[in-house]
Amino acid sequence: MPLVLLVMLPAAAAVVLLLRGRRTDAAAPAIAVAVAVIDLGLAIVAAIARPSAEVTALNSIPGAVAVDGLAAIAMVTVAAVFLAVVVFACGDIGRGEARSRFFGTMLLFVAAMFVTVTAVNIFTLLAAWEIMGATSYALIGFWWSEPGKARSGLIAFITTRSADVGMYVAAGAALAAGAAGLNLARLDEVAGGWRDIALAGLALAALGKSAQLPFSFWLSHAMAGPSPVSALLHSAAMVAAGGYLLLRIEPGITATGWLGPVVAWIGALTALLLGAVAVAQRDLKQLLAASTCSQIGFIVLAAGVGGVAGGATQFVAHAAVKSLLFLVAGAWLAALGTKNLLRLRGAARTHPVAGITFTVGALALGGLPPLSIWVAKDQILSAALPASTALYTVGLAAAALSAAYSAKALAVIWTRPASVAPLDVRAGRIPVSELLPLPALAIAATVLGVLGVPPLAAAWSRTLGTPDAPTSPPWEFAMSATLAVTVIVLVVWWQHRRLTRSDELVADTAWLRDWLKMEAGIDVIVVRPIRALSAWCSRFDDRVLSQAVTTVGSAVLRLSRVVNARLEWAIAAAVAFVADGARRLATAAVRPQTGLLHQYYDQAIVGMAVLVAVFILMR
Amino acid sequence: MNGMQSGQEIDLTAFVPEIAIAVTAVLGLLAGSWLPRYRQWVVRALALLGILVAVIATIISMTRAPEATAAGSYTIDVSLNAARLAILVGTAIVIGLASGSIAAAKRESEFHVLLLLAALGTIVLAGATDLLVLAAGYLLASVPLYALVGFAKDRLGTEATLKYYLMGALFGLLLLAGVVLLLATGGSTVYSELSRSLPRGPTAVVATGMLMLTAGLLFKAGSVPAHFWVPDAIDGATPPIAAFIATVPKIGALVALFRISTDAFANVPLDWSLMLALLAAATMTLGNLAAFFQRTVRRLLAYSTISQVGYLMMIIAAYGHPTRALPSLLYYLLAYTVTNLGAFAVVAAFASRRGVDDYRGLFRRHRWVALSLIVCLLGLVGTPPTAVFVGKLTAFTAALDAGMGWLVILAAANTVASVFYYLRWIFVLFQRDHVGPEASEPSGPTGMPRTEAASIILAVALGVTSIVVGLVANPVLELLSSSK
Amino acid sequence: MLSIIVFLPAIVAALLLFVPRKRVRLFPWIWVATSAVDLALIIVAWTGYIVGTGTGFGYEENVRWLPMLGSGYHIAVDGFSLPIVALTGVLFLACAVYSLREQRRTRSWVILFLFLQTVSLGLFVSLDLLVFFVFFDLSIVAMYFIIAGWGHPGAARAALQFFLYTFVGSLALLLGFIGLYLASTPHTFDMVQLVHQDPLKGDPVVAGIILFAISLGLAVKTPTVPFHTWLPPAHTEAPTAGSVILAGILLKMGTYGFVRIAMPILPQAWRDYALVFVIVGVVSVLYGALVALAQTNLKRMIAYTSVNHMGYIILGLGAAGLATGSNVQASALAVSGAVTQMVSHGLLTGALFLLAGVLYARGGTYDIGAYGGLAKTVPVFTGLMAVAVFGSLGLPGFSGFIAEFQIFTGSLGSAPVPTALSVIGIVITAALLLRMFQRIFLGAGQRSHDEAPPAPQASMKDVFSREFFAVAPLLALSVVIGILPAFLLHVIDPAARALVALVGG
Repeated sequence: MPLVLLVMLPAAAAVVLLLRGRRTDAAAPAIAVAVAVIDLGLAIVAAIARPSAEVTALNSIPGAVAVDGLAAIAMVTVAAVFLAVVVFACGDIGRGEARSRFFGTMLLFVAAMFVTVTAVNIFTLLAAWEIMGATSYALIGFWWSEPGKARSGLIAFITTRSADVGMYVAAGAALAAGAAGLNLARLDEVAGGWRDIALAGLALAALGKSAQLPFSFWLSHAMAGPSPVSALLHSAAMVAAGGYLLLRIEPGITATGWLGPVVAWIGALTALLLGAVAVAQRDLKQLLAASTCSQIGFIVLAAGVGGVAGGATQFVAHAAVKSLLFLVAGAWLAALGTKNLLRLRGAARTHPVAGITFTVGALALGGLPPLSIWVAKDQILSAALPASTALYTVGLAAAALSAAYSAKALAVIWTRPASVAPLDVRAGRIPVSELLPLPALAIAATVLGVLGVPPLAAAWSRTLGTPDAPTSPPWEFAMSATLAVTVIVLVVWWQHRRLTRSDELVADTAWLRDWLKMEAGIDVIVVRPIRALSAWCSRFDDRVLSQAVTTVGSAVLRLSRVVNARLEWAIAAAVAFVADGARRLATAAVRPQTGLLHQYYDQAIVGMAVLVAVFILMR
Repeated sequence: MNGMQSGQEIDLTAFVPEIAIAVTAVLGLLAGSWLPRYRQWVVRALALLGILVAVIATIISMTRAPEATAAGSYTIDVSLNAARLAILVGTAIVIGLASGSIAAAKRESEFHVLLLLAALGTIVLAGATDLLVLAAGYLLASVPLYALVGFAKDRLGTEATLKYYLMGALFGLLLLAGVVLLLATGGSTVYSELSRSLPRGPTAVVATGMLMLTAGLLFKAGSVPAHFWVPDAIDGATPPIAAFIATVPKIGALVALFRISTDAFANVPLDWSLMLALLAAATMTLGNLAAFFQRTVRRLLAYSTISQVGYLMMIIAAYGHPTRALPSLLYYLLAYTVTNLGAFAVVAAFASRRGVDDYRGLFRRHRWVALSLIVCLLGLVGTPPTAVFVGKLTAFTAALDAGMGWLVILAAANTVASVFYYLRWIFVLFQRDHVGPEASEPSGPTGMPRTEAASIILAVALGVTSIVVGLVANPVLELLSSSK
Repeated sequence: MLSIIVFLPAIVAALLLFVPRKRVRLFPWIWVATSAVDLALIIVAWTGYIVGTGTGFGYEENVRWLPMLGSGYHIAVDGFSLPIVALTGVLFLACAVYSLREQRRTRSWVILFLFLQTVSLGLFVSLDLLVFFVFFDLSIVAMYFIIAGWGHPGAARAALQFFLYTFVGSLALLLGFIGLYLASTPHTFDMVQLVHQDPLKGDPVVAGIILFAISLGLAVKTPTVPFHTWLPPAHTEAPTAGSVILAGILLKMGTYGFVRIAMPILPQAWRDYALVFVIVGVVSVLYGALVALAQTNLKRMIAYTSVNHMGYIILGLGAAGLATGSNVQASALAVSGAVTQMVSHGLLTGALFLLAGVLYARGGTYDIGAYGGLAKTVPVFTGLMAVAVFGSLGLPGFSGFIAEFQIFTGSLGSAPVPTALSVIGIVITAALLLRMFQRIFLGAGQRSHDEAPPAPQASMKDVFSREFFAVAPLLALSVVIGILPAFLLHVIDPAARALVALVGG
């Protein structure tokens, strides 16, 4: 029951808001906040009660949702972040805006997200999964009248949907494999190639949604949306849902044997490369976006190596941290009208609350012990270590990079502006509603580290129903900690020096800044060929297929003209016929018109004679 | 008549229809000679009365068992009765169509007499099971029509008459020559005996004879290679006569052809069926293709009739399976009579509209006539649920059953092609009188044309009939397959 | 009961022929009333069917019509026909509401549509090949007049092409039917008896030929690649209501023919040639989507997406023919998905064409490039279009998803590669539909365009109530099916299982 309410409440509110349109703009924020508060309560209740619900949908495939340990954690996380984001949005999405549409879509999205995390079978999952995608399109393109926004939404939607093809295939494969009711939990039980296809398909969809390589570029476009959208979708919800799905099907992944390493490596490489991309960004939101890919990469890695506990920790920790950072970035964007790092120089000094919370978040993101993400990452890395040293090393390098980009951001916002007239302070008072959620998230970002403390960690694993996370050797903790600290210190120092000397950013590499030119690559490999193919097809359709038909038709007409001219007195027919250019036939056609009847006679007699001959020969 | 005079054992009651028509014709001639012009409607009434009697007699004779009379030279069976009905009704309809134009014309009585004689000749054709009776029927069916085609005495009519007559003469000659050849080889003129004797005769001669004989029937039916006269005659004659020669004689000729194929030629060691199939193929195809570019409705209908004969020939080609073929043929003939006359009735109603484009906007002025014209034209296409659809259905079935798939496919292709020119006419009906999508075509002269009440009524009635006959096809078919 | 549902519109139409011209104002309302009553009757019939058996044939009527030809007036509804009959009722009502302001030759317009409604209903309930064929042919005639009489300039040619092309198909169909008739003993056109006889069990060659003839006829009507070329011109030239019925109902006659005739009567042949249909389906899906992607004319684009959507149906049915052993269960899912797709496509494409008509009524052109940023001026219209677009790109929550998910899931086991390929279709469709939506409604506003004259957008009016009430119900229904599909699937499912039992032997 709480579960049904959890989903239905925001969904119903969303329908009302979206159907009423601008008429409910005024009421929209209040409604949204109310729903968010209630939902948080419901989520906690559901997390304890572990209910499940089912509704008949297709024959033999119900729409079913249920709460297990993983789902419980995800639900609470999402609900909490959602509340924070909605409160923030009350200030961020101003009076003039189409608030009804914004909050309506957000509510619809969160409803879909709740279904996604609790889905029992692939059908339910896919349904919620695709609605998430569509709502993200609507949210990214929220300012549709501004050129390019809608296009960004389209790119995000189409990219993720291309990956979703995997989930459709997975559904079919699961049915062929005989997985009862496409149940996700049963996937590892069924055997054979179909199971592998099903899991591979799910993994593909998950990687697309969580912007792993090679899909990452869509997340860069997703930054066109309002900041609250990024704070929800790209920290706790949509992008994280990809990683979440992989954690959920982890037993199956390990069962296949081959899929685990693949997933793990994709995650690790994404963590590494997109970390590098993040370091190279000039735009705060782009930096955060790239770091999201990188951080989710760790969750993917965890799923690949069977470190569900660590992955879950990372899911929670990253949700808190990244939503905090996105919100602060949004607050500054609203207040100072920029997300360009150079222009944000010193922002922390002019807006201390934002500045301090951001700092906490950034330090957590950088993996500074004992903050949350440091714990999570260590759990994951210690799970990866037995699997393969190479993976571990890559992961460690990625961790170092995350320390680097966090430090870069920190250095920028704390370095005193060069010019005597700093960026206009009066321009940006940050409204209270926007500040409200920041400290809460900051605290969460800090204390979630306790999940790593042994007794709690054991409980955590039990909640998730997974074997205790392998306790990594002390040297491992020490190493990662020192690594993080050193990198942060060095980069802060370096970046600060760069700024004060020559107002520049460090690691300002073009191809990294362009997200490894991924989009250009996809454009060349996929988009252009399809465009060309479609153009070719439509030409073929007009010139060949439809022509073929008309050709037959006109052939009959021409034939009939001939007959006509042979049988008819009409000079017109003969003339038209001559015009056709068949001169020889034309003369033949004119001939019978010379004499009147004896021509008929001749033809008749000849006809008969021929008939007789044919008839006799025919026997 | 030849057949009737030979032998005394004839049961005259079997011939009441023929006799009724003959008597009426004679009476009409006498009456017409002394009746004043304004009273000549009496002759018309007389003719209709005679036809009524004949129809009733036919219906009665339907209840009887089939019989071969006059020493087997004339057979009264379901085919003949069906033919009689179709011919008589058709003739009556034509008289109705003519009522407006011919009324109180100087030679009205002659007109009706000639019409009756032609009808009589056609009936005889349908009933003949003796070559000589066949020949007699041929002449009787042809000669009056020569006169009728030129009845209006205008230039077109006279020219048409000339062609019609000369062609008729030629094919009459061929027919008689055929009779002679078959008599020479078969030693008899009665079908039943020919079917026994012909197989033994010299094949080449027999083949020549068969084809020469058939040539005459093909001429009456207006089938390839004896179709040249059809467009000219139909274009030249007045609409009622056009309607008659486009419909009635074909009935007799085709029934005769079927009869001779089954009764006389069946055992000849030649692939007669294939021969007929080829003729059918040629006829339907040429008729359709030639119809494409006709700008006047009469020529268009003329060619459409040729193509229809092609479909009918297809059934005859399946004479090997009479249980399917015969009912199909007879039903198709009935359906064709109704539908084709319906189309011609519209033409007669608007005699002054010659070109297809003259029919622009007909739907706005005469909704019902236009509707029934659409029904008739779509009927000729073979659109359900009109009568011709059932006809075509049975025809296809019979031909497929006889293993002539190629011919059926060709027929189907021709049907599609025919849609093209029928739709051109139909489309025009809905166009505004002057502006229309097809601005390329010059809009014809549409001075409010003289219309004929009787024709309009008949047109609508026939349109309705052709649907009704289609919907209640079953009893008709049962009747037609009662024997054979 | 059923006959009343079928012939009520035709009877009203016949009566309207006698109503004097000056009463012509009433005609559209009479049409609305008639369609509404008919729809009500259909709903009654539906509920009656549920509370009754819920499986097999309901409301069966079998009257001797042409026993000489082994044909009778045999009609009934079952899990396949009932949903499509209901769809027919809904779409015609929507068209009636939309056409309330039709000024041109209103009498003929209304009469033709009422006649066409009877024809469509009759086709979907007929259990006799001849009756089926009669309605099949008449639908062509009626639609010809609608396109030729009320279409845009150039309609004459498109209408003629439509008539000739589909008429070829219908004749192929007729020959196939005659073939079945001759093959059966005793000779009959009755579908039920034919299914019972399975006349061509022993004769794969003839069965193949007949299946070819029938499939040709149905494929032209559906239409599948490469027989689809009549569709785009017909749609672009047809009046709005005509397009709706053409896409929503007439196309279904083809696909319905497959589940009603081709598959059950020729099961063995269907198994033998199932791969052909699967391939045709996939090609239609991808080819239709790709060509649609290149269109700049809104109606042409929607027409090609129809080819794409019909392709899914053919794919599902073909896969059912390939199914063996354990997959047979799955193919029941595919078949019910195919039938769901027929309904779904009718609703969503119907809505899209109505909205295209709304656009044309304001902008005077279907050229997508001539519009831009309409969302500012016509928010409600935009909302409707957005819903329709997301619906027809197969978003969950709409009927399209239910249909396509079932088709994909049910087909993959039997035809893995083709199905996987055809899933790509939903991505392309999504891309092209959303791109269209963005070009017309989103963005800064009027974009300068060389070919097309700028549409009068500043003055553009939002949807009128008649337009709204024509479109909104269709979308609402699609959502209902999308969220609570059970009420529909429970009707389809038994029929689907029965068919699969026949085919997937």
